[in-house]
Amino acid sequence: MTAHAPAVGHDAPPQGGVGVYTQKVGMWVFLVSEVMFFTALIGSYIILRWGTGAPWPEPRTVLAIPITALNTFILICSSVSMVKAYAAATKDDQAGLKKWLLLTVLGGATFVSVQAYEYHHLIEKGFLPSSGLFGSAFYTMTGFHGFHVTCGVISMIWVTIRAFRGKYAGGNYRGVETIGLYWHFVDLVWIILFTIVYLI
Amino acid sequence: MTAHAGAVAHAAHDDRPFIRKYVFSTDHKVIGIQFLFLSLFFLLVGGLLAMGIRWQLGFPGQPMPLGGWLPSSVAPGGVVAPKTYNSLVTMHGTFMIFFAVMPLLVGVFANYLIPLKIGAPDMAFPRLNMWSFWLMIPSGGLMLASLLVLGGSSAAGWTVYAPLSAMPDYSGVHLGQQLWCVSIVIFGLSSLLGSVNYITTVVNLRAPGMTWFRLPLSVWALFITAVLAILAVPILAGAVIMLLFDQTIGTHFFAPDAGGQPLMWQHLFWFFGHPEVYILILPAMGIASDIIANGARKPIFGYHSMVYAMIGIAFLGFIVWGHHMFQSGMNPTLASSFMVSTIVIAVPSAIKVFNWLGTLWRGSIHFTTPMLNALAFVSMFIIGGLSGIFMASTPVDMYIHGTYFIVAHIHYVLFGGSLFAVFAGIYFWYPKMFGRQMSERWGKVHFVLTFVFYNLTFFPMHILGVGGEMRRIYDPTVYDFLRPLQPINVFITVNAFLLGLSQLVFAVNFIGSLFKGEKAERNPWHDTGLEWTAPSPPPHGNFPETPTVYHGPYEFSVPGMAEDFVPVNTPPAAGGAGAAGAAGGRHG
Amino acid sequence: MEATEHRAPNYVAIWGMLAILTVVEVAIVYFRLPRRLMVLSLVFLALWKALLVALYFMHLKFEPRRLLYIVLAPLPLAVILVFAVIHGFRGP
Repeated sequence: MTAHAPAVGHDAPPQGGVGVYTQKVGMWVFLVSEVMFFTALIGSYIILRWGTGAPWPEPRTVLAIPITALNTFILICSSVSMVKAYAAATKDDQAGLKKWLLLTVLGGATFVSVQAYEYHHLIEKGFLPSSGLFGSAFYTMTGFHGFHVTCGVISMIWVTIRAFRGKYAGGNYRGVETIGLYWHFVDLVWIILFTIVYLI
Repeated sequence: MTAHAGAVAHAAHDDRPFIRKYVFSTDHKVIGIQFLFLSLFFLLVGGLLAMGIRWQLGFPGQPMPLGGWLPSSVAPGGVVAPKTYNSLVTMHGTFMIFFAVMPLLVGVFANYLIPLKIGAPDMAFPRLNMWSFWLMIPSGGLMLASLLVLGGSSAAGWTVYAPLSAMPDYSGVHLGQQLWCVSIVIFGLSSLLGSVNYITTVVNLRAPGMTWFRLPLSVWALFITAVLAILAVPILAGAVIMLLFDQTIGTHFFAPDAGGQPLMWQHLFWFFGHPEVYILILPAMGIASDIIANGARKPIFGYHSMVYAMIGIAFLGFIVWGHHMFQSGMNPTLASSFMVSTIVIAVPSAIKVFNWLGTLWRGSIHFTTPMLNALAFVSMFIIGGLSGIFMASTPVDMYIHGTYFIVAHIHYVLFGGSLFAVFAGIYFWYPKMFGRQMSERWGKVHFVLTFVFYNLTFFPMHILGVGGEMRRIYDPTVYDFLRPLQPINVFITVNAFLLGLSQLVFAVNFIGSLFKGEKAERNPWHDTGLEWTAPSPPPHGNFPETPTVYHGPYEFSVPGMAEDFVPVNTPPAAGGAGAAGAAGGRHG
Repeated sequence: MEATEHRAPNYVAIWGMLAILTVVEVAIVYFRLPRRLMVLSLVFLALWKALLVALYFMHLKFEPRRLLYIVLAPLPLAVILVFAVIHGFRGP
């Protein structure tokens, strides 16, 4: 089994493997772990709601669908501005990069603010984490999602500052792409959460 | 921002201040050694807790030596109280699994070995690596603090089943359980950051010529372990967070009164818990493979099947979790499917055992301390694996679940398996890490004492278990049918104390050799790995220039070569095989 | 180090698609369809949106195959966990 015929690099490029740069591999591996984390939370929701036959209120009678739908749209827009920022970075369009990053921060911050406002409204109405299984699951899932968005906004602010300092000039787009992957992931989780928790 | 370019330049000179070099270091070798000291400390903590357990089981109701020092809420009159006993078993398991064995196998060996063995200057994300270690400090600190708070530490078993763990009214534990949860979440984050690093490093930073099927089995094992961690640890994090919320903000995930499902805790926990036990054994298998090939001066028998077996174990490990829950009242059809998958998973493990035996067959076996420990790993793992076959069968498990038969199995695979492999790995790589040799003589004394007392401690537990002695029981003598077995408990306790004392030999050898040990040469074990081509210890940046790999990982006793081992970076001699290999083969 | 030089997808078109799908989803909720049909459509629409984000915004469509396999790895596990546990609760 061992190679007595020596092989110098013909099947082993110096940085072989997936053919993707290291930061991107690292971020994707991290996102895989995040998929499993949200699986635990969302999976539990599915199990509790549809596996156990427990009584469950219609989400639309408790939650405000229209404003959350708008919020979903805002998050999607911030995902678009993120990918536009990435596109600008690949083309070394620094002005575009800065503009689109700022819009992404704005979109993310708006999403979190609207969520916080919604929480306040729900708590005033008497819908709490202790309000049955639905309350437990709702606040845990959306709360952790909101936490992830908040971390994303903070990271995005940091990336934006770096962009203004010219750290992504000259086609050096990798940091932008990497944070972008995280941002899109957070959007993707929300797409699923919105459907499962608010609509179904 | 590749680690490559920057770190290669640093290999030449290293003028970092002390605190960046040895405290908040991003060097994978320093981080590996930091994990080593941290986890050996927690191994001691876990061991002391075990001594407390054994005292109570051997001499129920008797005051413990030094027990008078404990507060009377914990040990009135020096006698372990029942709730304290529950804490002891819980925290023994918790510290051993999360803070001793996992960091010892993964935190130490993944960090230390992976970049060296693949020819990289450091990990893919050195700063993230540093965070991975330093997060263990608050995590471990919180877990230790939980021992001291009012109400005591978590007392629901290391598996903290709901609703006992979720309802302070049931367990009498308030803050202690919450601290447990927070500590584990931080631990999970540390584990995930480390795993991202190990995976990315192995995928992208291999030196030229280091193809996937030239990786040493230790690297394969650590890589697969990291994949398991990425997929399983987040499930634990999610479940523990839900448990924490049940205790603190009034959610009802596992609380039956509002429709919550205690059984869901078990499913979530064991969906993590089973891959977790493979996380605890795979690195041990990898380390043992490297050391056995070295000690037998033979290539590993069936290298490819070893790799596929580990992949098979990892994959199957995700669909067997229900075998921890056979007595839970789960759907019998589901239970049967778990029974089948559990029996099947024995196959790849058996393949590995046969391959180790095949490696030894007709080998030129050198009974060094690492080799002795690696051989103990194989033989004790066989016993632990065989008891697993019994438990895999649902009808049999109905009888032995929750008994000392399970405890015996756990300790045969975790101590007999993982810990002997840890000892083997420490004895083997100590010269590389510290530039000094541990004493071979005292290493062998430690091995013999440990091996004897370990077997005398844990083998009788099989008998106790089949005799019906339950797990986590405070006082077996309250049951008439267990009283005849009590002499076995006393026997186990005495041997457990002797086992604990024997570890002093290791401690003295380990610490003493740091200062007084014989200076180690570059390759004292005449091994083929890339780490042995670097000085002992290697400098920051590891290699003066990126090595090129030409050979597989276990080229021992190759006919026609001057030495009985060929380091993987030996260039092919002009003219092909049969040449003396003088230029490349010798590393004086 | 980039895997492929590909023409950048039309991000605005994808955005438009996502917006439309969101509107359709909300509309479905208010149309009072039969329960099963509603659930199936919503799940389908959500998956479609998720795929658009993953394939185009996260560029998975243009990455090397091996990266896609890494990313797909957790999905069967998620499905197994949820279905096995529900089956466990539902009884024989």
